[in-house]
Amino acid sequence: MEVFTDYECPTCKRLFEETLRPMISDYVAAGKVYLIHHDFPLPMHKYGYEAARWLNASARVGQFQNVEAALYDHQESWAADGDIGKYVAGAMSPTEFKKVEAQMRGCGLGAPAAVKSASFALGGQAGSGDACAVDFYIEADRALGNQIPVTGTPTYVISYKGHRLPAGSGVVSWPILKQFFDSLLSQ
Amino acid sequence: MDNDTRRRLGRIVLIAARVALAAIFLFAAYAKMKPQPGMPWTPGSVRTSLSMFAIGVDSYEMLPPWAVSPFAHFLPPFELFLGLWLLSGYGMRFSGLLSAALICAFILAMYSAYRRGLTISCGCFGQGAQIGIMELIRDGLIFLPLALIVTVGGFLSKRKRTGSTLPQSSASVSHAD
Repeated sequence: MEVFTDYECPTCKRLFEETLRPMISDYVAAGKVYLIHHDFPLPMHKYGYEAARWLNASARVGQFQNVEAALYDHQESWAADGDIGKYVAGAMSPTEFKKVEAQMRGCGLGAPAAVKSASFALGGQAGSGDACAVDFYIEADRALGNQIPVTGTPTYVISYKGHRLPAGSGVVSWPILKQFFDSLLSQ
Repeated sequence: MDNDTRRRLGRIVLIAARVALAAIFLFAAYAKMKPQPGMPWTPGSVRTSLSMFAIGVDSYEMLPPWAVSPFAHFLPPFELFLGLWLLSGYGMRFSGLLSAALICAFILAMYSAYRRGLTISCGCFGQGAQIGIMELIRDGLIFLPLALIVTVGGFLSKRKRTGSTLPQSSASVSHAD
């Protein structure tokens, strides 16, 4: 299951808390479902792109899951003041945070200029001038999302035995999704 | 245009509307029940597709959790039944009325999701088009008028049939008297 999310999107927070959390501890941990996260920050969210940068930097020190949970838990707070680093720091050790900060060096505030432009929906690449190292991963995810095409977040795509099923979007409750996985796995 | 031509034209419009409406419901049922890519047609694969449709129903956030799955497993077979019923031409006023009521329910559900700002797939013909003005226009200005034509046509043709048999029955009643 591939999920395209924007960390500042309230529906993505609901999908994470109501569906993905129980799914991770139940079906992902049991090896029944393989979950792939993709970034798809939307231009309407002021700090969505920056949050994706912090997440990608945290993933490179092995702290993706903790930071993802922390950012969703405190979404309202950082979405209001943009202080994302505070919650990232709280989700890992000081040594790890220093490494994350090093990854974030060179990243300006907010999304690269090209991302804010009208070319966003067409998968335009971020301008190299103000892009930081982790932007590469975000842009790769956005390009993939535009192929689907992702028109809103959250969007999820389920693949089974090499076949990609039609994309779904919005919140789906865990019992309903679980029923679908059970049905799929019984085939 | 004389009465005969008008009547014939009305009958053609009614048949065309009924067949088009039947085709819409049959296609809607097929799209929801057809096996997912790479799966053969088996009861199990149809159940999987209905479970997939349940995800779409759930994303509307309108039904209580316990009702989502039963509804998702009931609606596509019901659409199949309705499509076949419309195609048969029997009890047209009832099949038309039921179709109109169902389409009204779809429009209300989509409008509600649209108003709440949900960016979800319509689920009307399987997973696909996102809910938007175009889907509301399609259902409201194409599908609903078709259902209304079938309903009104069904009632009118029933009245005509009843009207034409009345003198005969009253004659037989008076004869019996």
